[in-house]
Amino acid sequence: MSEKKTAAVSIDGLTKVFRGALARESVVAVKELSLEVAPGEVYGLIGPNGSGKSTTMKVLLGLIRPSAGRTAIFGVDSTRVESRRQVGFLPENPYFYRHLTGRETLQFYGRLCGVGRGALRARIDELLELVELGHAARRPLRGYSKGMLQRIGLAQALVQEPRLVVLDEPTAGVDPAGSRKIRDLILELKQRGIAVVLSSHLLEQVQEVCDRVGIIFNGSMVQEGRLEDLISIENQTEIILKNASADLLERIRDLAEGADAEFVKMGQPRTTLESLFLRETEGREE
Amino acid sequence: MSSREADRKPRVKPGGTVATRRGIGASAGRIGTLAGTTFLQLLRMKTFYFLLIFSILVVVASTFNVLHHTGEQHLKLLKDVALGAMSLFTSLFAIVATALLIPSDLEDRTLQTILAKPVPRYDYILGKLCGVILVVAVSVVVMDLIFGAVLYAREEMMVAAELAGATESGGFAEEDLAVLEERLRSQGLNWNLQNAVAAIFLKSCVICAVTMLVSTIASTSLFTIIVGFVIFFIGHLQSVARDYWMHALDAGLWKRLFSGLVALIFPDFQIFNVVDGVVAGEVIPLGAMTRMAGLTILYVMVYSMVAYLVFADREL
Ligand SMILES: Nc1ncnc2c1ncn2[C@@H]1O[C@H](COP(=O)(O)OP(=O)(O)O)[C@@H](O)[C@H]1O
Ligand SMILES: [Mg+2]
Repeated sequence: MSEKKTAAVSIDGLTKVFRGALARESVVAVKELSLEVAPGEVYGLIGPNGSGKSTTMKVLLGLIRPSAGRTAIFGVDSTRVESRRQVGFLPENPYFYRHLTGRETLQFYGRLCGVGRGALRARIDELLELVELGHAARRPLRGYSKGMLQRIGLAQALVQEPRLVVLDEPTAGVDPAGSRKIRDLILELKQRGIAVVLSSHLLEQVQEVCDRVGIIFNGSMVQEGRLEDLISIENQTEIILKNASADLLERIRDLAEGADAEFVKMGQPRTTLESLFLRETEGREE
Repeated sequence: MSSREADRKPRVKPGGTVATRRGIGASAGRIGTLAGTTFLQLLRMKTFYFLLIFSILVVVASTFNVLHHTGEQHLKLLKDVALGAMSLFTSLFAIVATALLIPSDLEDRTLQTILAKPVPRYDYILGKLCGVILVVAVSVVVMDLIFGAVLYAREEMMVAAELAGATESGGFAEEDLAVLEERLRSQGLNWNLQNAVAAIFLKSCVICAVTMLVSTIASTSLFTIIVGFVIFFIGHLQSVARDYWMHALDAGLWKRLFSGLVALIFPDFQIFNVVDGVVAGEVIPLGAMTRMAGLTILYVMVYSMVAYLVFADREL
């Protein structure tokens, strides 16, 4: 029963059918889905809207009941309240009590987890710093922007120092700068050895942080594996040169063709619109 | 600083994880946290403003003697208005405040974040219920204080005025004056009034519990409020209807069955109806109050239990 060997998340043959009331027909949201996430691993669940990502997460957190199959967190079945001791959850588009300030929100969730008074105070200071919301800690959430809500939500998920966090579309609706902050936070969690399960339909973001991804479509897993294995094109190599003359490039092309390699593409790499945006707006905000 | 560090040490598990309390049975700490936040929510939503309306009403009723009542009648009217308003306001407030809680948590998905913590669903229901009952209790105490102060002030003024008037016109013996004062004071502030206030509070607790049950089934606050009002009226009328049917000679089986069913599902608010008696000067015996409290606890327990059973199955 070593804790290291128990999977952080295990989902085994999960099926969820939403029974339609009256005339509405039932919806099969998740079909025989299985996956495992190791402790400390960052797992990305990707798929288009309506593919069953949120439903899977809700079953994992015991918010809805599976129609078949079972899910567990660190070996404890999700239907048991105890399974939620080691997990933090950030739902899709979260809302918290608008009348509470940032600090009060974290206090509320901390007390629900039974964190003792002194420990909680220290923990809240640490979390506010981590999510960079110290300046807004005394303001009610009513006045928070989308990105700030998302970050206080992340802090809330982390309040009892769980070993797993489940994030449903953590960057949806957040501007690029805010979205990068959240990505950095996820990387920070990874360094601390906290397992992360996140869902997204924005693929670049998943690519930057996840160790492993599962592609889910219409409720079924269609592809799963380590990110490098899934996306690297094994028989190609990229060379990036700076200040290369036209002559040099011509020689490289000749060399390649003389050496039985196929020359695929040459040109100037483009920065992404996102990094351009970030570069231009960096340091101007706040 | 170092002593606080030492305090914290035992709570931190080897893995660097903050230890959480052991049992996942109902926890007073969690229920208290939920109740406190609910209290704060209703406080910050400024729901307490209705107390202002109550104060104005009581002060107006005490100041203006439009009907040119005698002192005794005026005090009686003041009590009637104040206790009637207190009863109605508290009941309506209990319905509306309770109806705002769970549906808005559901809609905002705040509920998902709460239940994603190690919080059993019965703790959530009980926390919300305790929070709203606490708010109702504070409101009742405030209204009671305002009412008591106004009634006392009015009573003193009237006793002074009537005694002065009687002495001036002369012809009253000492005993007559004493009788006069006694009569006025019997309509003034006394402990029996607190029985009426207690009954108002107990009734509101039942209203909170039954509205909470409705809100676990409903998905919107508006629907909960409407159903809450319907139950409120049925709860008041059912015993009248029952008496009528039971005693009517042609009371058929189906009528008896129907009224029996209604009595089983809906609370009977008539058992809390002591305000008229108290205003008329009837003293409510302790035994009656104890029975009322017992019934309240029974109602609240049954309704919260059913609310939990409904809520336990709810998909979020
Ligand atoms: N409570 C519900 N009742 C009925 N159908 C639902 C419910 N929740 C989700 N669904 C359906 O289940 C499917 C999966 O939804 P969801 O898990 O939210 O997808 P995703 O998070 O991947 O966008 C969708 O077709 C959605 O309409
Ligand atoms: Mg979703």
